[in-house]
Formats: sequence, structure tokens, C-alpha cells
Amino acid sequence: MLIKVPSVVNLGLETIKVDIEINLANKGLPGFEIVGLAGKAVDESKERVRTAILSSDVDFPQKKITVNMAPADVPKEGSMYDLPIALGILSSVLEFKIPEKSLFLGELSFDGSLRHTKGAFLAALFAKESGYTNLYVPKDSANEAAAIKGVKVFPVEDIAQLCRHFLGFQKDVPEIFPIVYKQSKNENNVVVEFDMKEVLGQEQAKRATEIAAAGGHNIIMIGSPGSGKTMLARALPGILPPLNEAESLEVTKIFSASGGIPPGGSLITTRQFRSPHHTASLAGLVGGGSKPQPGEISLAHRGVLFLDEFNEFPRAIMEALRQPLEDGYLTISRSRQRITYPADFMLVASANPCPCGYALHPKRSCNCSQNQIQKYQKRISGPILDRIDLHISVMPVDATEFEDNQKNSEFLEPSDKIRQRVMQARAKQEARFGAETICSNSQMKNSHIKKYCKLAKDVEAILRQASLKFNLSARSYMKMIKVARTIADLAGEAEISVNHMAEALQYSPKNFETA
Amino acid sequence: MAEAVEITSEKYPKILKVALKELQLSLGPKKLYYRGNWDEKIFENCLAVVGSRRLTYYGRKATEQIVTQAAASGITIVSGFMYGGDEAAHSAAVKCGGKTIAVMPCGIDLIHPPSQKKLYREILDTGGLIISEYPGFTQPQTFTYIQRDRIVAGLSKAVLVTEAALESGSLITASYAKKFGRKIFAIPGPITSEVSQGTMKLIKEGAEPIADAKDILDFFKITLKFSKKTALPASALSELRRGKCFTLEEKIIDQLKREPLKADEMARLFAVPVAQLGTALSLMQLKGFINQDNGKYYIN
Repeated sequence: MLIKVPSVVNLGLETIKVDIEINLANKGLPGFEIVGLAGKAVDESKERVRTAILSSDVDFPQKKITVNMAPADVPKEGSMYDLPIALGILSSVLEFKIPEKSLFLGELSFDGSLRHTKGAFLAALFAKESGYTNLYVPKDSANEAAAIKGVKVFPVEDIAQLCRHFLGFQKDVPEIFPIVYKQSKNENNVVVEFDMKEVLGQEQAKRATEIAAAGGHNIIMIGSPGSGKTMLARALPGILPPLNEAESLEVTKIFSASGGIPPGGSLITTRQFRSPHHTASLAGLVGGGSKPQPGEISLAHRGVLFLDEFNEFPRAIMEALRQPLEDGYLTISRSRQRITYPADFMLVASANPCPCGYALHPKRSCNCSQNQIQKYQKRISGPILDRIDLHISVMPVDATEFEDNQKNSEFLEPSDKIRQRVMQARAKQEARFGAETICSNSQMKNSHIKKYCKLAKDVEAILRQASLKFNLSARSYMKMIKVARTIADLAGEAEISVNHMAEALQYSPKNFETA
Repeated sequence: MAEAVEITSEKYPKILKVALKELQLSLGPKKLYYRGNWDEKIFENCLAVVGSRRLTYYGRKATEQIVTQAAASGITIVSGFMYGGDEAAHSAAVKCGGKTIAVMPCGIDLIHPPSQKKLYREILDTGGLIISEYPGFTQPQTFTYIQRDRIVAGLSKAVLVTEAALESGSLITASYAKKFGRKIFAIPGPITSEVSQGTMKLIKEGAEPIADAKDILDFFKITLKFSKKTALPASALSELRRGKCFTLEEKIIDQLKREPLKADEMARLFAVPVAQLGTALSLMQLKGFINQDNGKYYIN
């Protein structure tokens, strides 16, 4: 007897249909075999399926069972095929029909219940695109799948329940209502470690992070240990606007592929803040492995990638960031497959000025030689620095200086207030780039700059004068225009004025060459 | 090609020979290798100028101001060719067309630190001397720096310490100078600065604190031949007074004349948003009124 149960395989963010063909033969010795490039986890599903069926009080058929996964040349990994295999065997024993236009995936427990399985969101997306109307997934993964409208998602608790459902008790597995994306206007519902008003002093650095958040600019902070670089970076998510619907779907896709959505979780609506340690491996950071997985930079898609102690990162990792910083995606090529993961993130880097860290410190002395300092600063390559729009130095503040100032509200703006301004600036950018593929000032290419950032004569004069005086490179020149555009957007003005350009110059790279 | 002068030679600087008698003669350099034009006149009025490798902006400005006047008036500036204080002294002398002697801690055929090749050339081009007691490509070592210091002090009638931390090489030069009975000058610095502690110690011990080159010139009995105007902001201020600029700029210049400040500190002081302040600072920098170094702003 031959039974076919449709399921899917996820290759990166792409999904391919997999037919699980189950043959129960009366001839031959009883046994259980899986073929079709099944990985270790798939092969082990034999034991899970057998035990789960037995714990559901169904006799496991004493027949020669062969499972084929077609197409046979695509490698399959993971535990999601437990459900379709078990269902195939059960349909033969209990004699029910597998409904048409349905997809199944889920991992089984020995007691017959289903466990949270990664990739449910991707499967739902595939179901919608390929005309499958029903999707059966574990209950814990149902919310994730239900984020896609137009597919009936059935949350399954255990296989016995599913069998009753197919045997005529439809109500046993009620269809789940689609989960609707809700944009929270005022909350970012993100748990932020620090509010901007907790950061004392650092007015200029705070202003720079505001500009970075408004235009999606990359930013690097250089300063001595304890000057508040990390605190500023951790306060940053609090001033970022929430994800819009399209962005939310993109991010959820990546998280679904990497198994990053928790049981019961659904759409990801907050901007991600990823801060990998500098001992992270290349594959862990940019993605990869023999079966390429998304790395930290992809998990930071549409969010923030915070690299603390930036010059401690190995050269190979820093250079690997160049392509994603430029293109917003990364293609991982392996001999068997090529997978493209989006990686459009805002880079926030922090670094010490020298190996001991105190080169810029007003009180403590630095005991590094000039050679050491130069070597240390050169660890960040020019091409990477060139892709960072805002450069600021963060000086340690004297805590005692602020004791009286604590209540001075003018200087201690809460994150919420800053976020309002950031959101207004982002709205301006969205309106401006409506027809384009880009959505923030930082993504502007030279052609966009020509089109959207026309400079008045006096503004251009200032910029030219500055580029001579501060030795700005051609790329820095363009960066200054982008930053000035964001500053103008923050101010709510249509044209870039001299003042906007002058402020932008404050954040040009020249501000950090130590003598 | 490097040449050498033996201690027995007539050309060997007398002042150094005399000084080394104070120490044991065996410690003195028997042979001085040199590059450049060996002219005995250059040793007539030597002033050693030494300072911290981690020279601050203030230290550099002060060095430039004093060395420029001294060198332009005919005093030879002797120093150790290290980066920081030494480099500032040599460059200031070279820039005003004065003579300078660099005493190397390494072999005469080596340029150390290599990043100062340009300065090395300039010293020779302006009629200065490069001196070393080590032949060929001898690498600098910890003790050669100290050995070098005794030549720097020995060649000079007086030593000027620009900036020095406690237990620094500059204080070693000063201690040699004391042994040789040389006059010691020191530039006073802010008491909060680490590299003012050494000069402060010297002043307490009897070194003469100086505010301009006149004291040095008096010591050498030379009259000031050239004076560089250092107070640039006067022109800037007059332009401000004519009402061409914003009052914030005026406030900034007024404040920076007294002490260098960070942007954050000024924003707090003047109670203006940092965005507005940044704009003003950039514009003023472009106009050349102020300068920025390591995050702090200075009057030009």
C-alpha cells in the first residue's frame, strides 16, 4: 500500500516541496527504512515514530515499511518529518484519507505529542504561494505559521487528536485564526536595558546615535573604557522605530529558518539588537556551516549589529562585513548550494583608542607606544571605516559633575521623546523614497544623492572647503551629504542648509585621529 | 656617508669634553659619528630641548612658541629625535630656519623612529647635524637612550624641559644637566596633567620656570631677533565685533581663550543643544578660528 504525505524542506530561506512516500509491504521481513538523502535527525525519526504510535494505543504494523523522500537528491535535515511519516503509517492502519492540498510538519515526542518545530513560518509562506490551503503544524508553532494570511493553520497537539480529526471528528483540531500584524504606534515593546536619560553627559554622542537611528547610518564610537560606549549602544534600541509590516515579515522569515522563534511566538515586531562577542566564529557571525545557517548579521536584519571592542575582531570577520554593509545581503556559497540571506543592518561599533585604552582619557595616562597605537588603530581596515558614516569619540564623564544636573530635563531627554523625532524623520524618508528600493538615507547610492540631495551653492562651498581642510575622501564627501540629509530630516526641513552640513562635519572621520 | 670625530681631535666639542670630565672619562664617547656639515660654530650656543613622548597639545604649542624664538635668534636646538617633545623641538627649529642637532640613540646609519624620515632630511637640509656615538646600524636599546641623554645635556649650556612625567627620560637628561652644572629651564603646565608633574618637580628643585623665550635669550646673552605673533584670535575677534558672526561663536572663542574644552562641556556651559553647538564649531573650524585635537577644541 502506497501513501503520499506532502511536506517541505527549507534550504536557507527557500522552501521546496517534499513528498513523503510511505510504502507498507506485506512481503518481506518486517522493518522500517528511510531513503532519500535523509540526515541523521531524519533517520532517527524511525524510533520516535514507532514509539509515538505505540504510546497512542495504535498497533505498529508488522510490515516492511519503506519511506522515500522525493526529490531524492536534496539533502533533508531536521526533525520536522516525524509528523508526515507517522501520519502516513497511521492512515494505513486506521484507514483514513490524507486530505488534499495539505502540508504537514512537526517533531514527535515519545508520548505522541508534537513539539515546537522550526520553519513553520516558511512552510506557511510556501503553502500560500503554492496553493496549499491547509497546514498542520505543532500547536507551539501554530502562531508562527498563522502570521501568513490565506492559509488555514491547524495547531496539532498530539497524533491521536489528529487521527480523530481525520476520522470524522473535525472539531478536535480547530483552525487557528490568522494572526494580524499590529504596529504599535508608541511602544517599541522592546525591553531596553537603558533609557537615554540614564546616560549622563555625552551630549554629542547621544545626538550622533539619534542621527544614526533616524537615517540608519553606521556609527563607530571610540573612547576609553568606562566612558559609556556600551551603555549608549544598549540604549539605542529604545530610540529605534518599530518594524513595519514588510520588515517584520522579512525578519520573521530569517528567524524561522534559524529556529529563533520561541514556542508560541509569532511575528517579530521589534528591531533586533545583536551583540556577538569578538570570539564569535566567522560562520556564526556572517552565516555558514556545511548547511548554511543565517549568522548574527542576518539575525540583525533591519536592526542593530553591535560589535563591542571592534578592533579585537579577527581581520577575516571584519572584511567579511564589507559585502553586506554595501549590498544589504550576503551570499554563502558552498559546493552543494548557494544561499542568500538578507543582512541589512545598522552597524554600531565601539573601540578603544589604543591597546591600554586610555589614550583619550583626560586623567589616566596611556602607556602605549606610538607604534602600538598605530598598529591597534590599523586593525580596522580603511574600507570598513569608509562604510561607517558617523565617527564619534566618547570621553569619560565625571559622575560628580552631574549630581546637581540630574533633574535638568533639557539635557536628559527620555528615549521616547527621541524616538518620536526619529520616527518623523523615518516617515520623511519613506515618503521620499516611495518608488525606490531603498528606505533610508544611509542606503542612498550616488545616483540617489544626486536626485534627492541637491545642495545649494553655499552648502556645497562649505563641504568643498571642509573636504580640503579635513582631507575627506570622495566616499566621505558623499557620506557627509547623507548625514546632512538625515539631520535636515530630523529638523523637518526639505532642503539641506549650511547648518545641517556644518553639524554633519562634526561626525566626519577626522575627529578621531590621535596625534 | 657618515663621518666621525675622535675625542682627541681639535674639532671635538669642548663643552662636551669638559662636561664628561665630571663623569668618568671612560664613559664619554670616544668617537662621535655624524652626518651633515660639522662646523664648530654650531656648538657655540646650544640649548637642549627635551619633552615627553606623549606631548600634549599645550606642550606642543608652548614648545613651538619658545623654540621658534630661540632658534630664530641663533641658538642651536639640541634634542634626541624621539617623537613627541623631541620631534616638536626639532621641527620648530627647522621651520624657522634655525639650526638643530639631533643626537640619535642608535647607529648613525639608522633613522629611528623611521616615521620621522622627513624631519631627518629637513634637519640636514637646514644645516643641522645628526650625531651618534654608535656606528652603522646599531639598534637602539633601553640603555642607549640614557647614554644619548648625557650627550644632549653635555653639548648644551642650558636644558629646557617642555613637558615630563615623573620618572621620564626628560628628567634623566635634566639630572645629567645638573651634574654638569647646566642651567635648567622648565615650562610650567597645568597641575592636573600627568606630564606636568616632572617639570613641576624640576621647578621645585630650582629650575627656572619660563613663559617666553626672553629668559633663555637673556641667559645666552642674545637679543631677540624674531618674534612670531601667536595671538591669532585677535583678528577673529575683531571680525566678530564687527557683527559678522553669531554671539555663540563669540562666547566660544572667549571661553576657549582661557582653556581648551570638549564639545559636550561647552554645550553644558552655554546651555545650548549640542546640535547647534556642533554646527558653530564646524563653521568656526572651517574659518580657521579654532582647532580640534583628541576631542578638545583650542583657539588657533
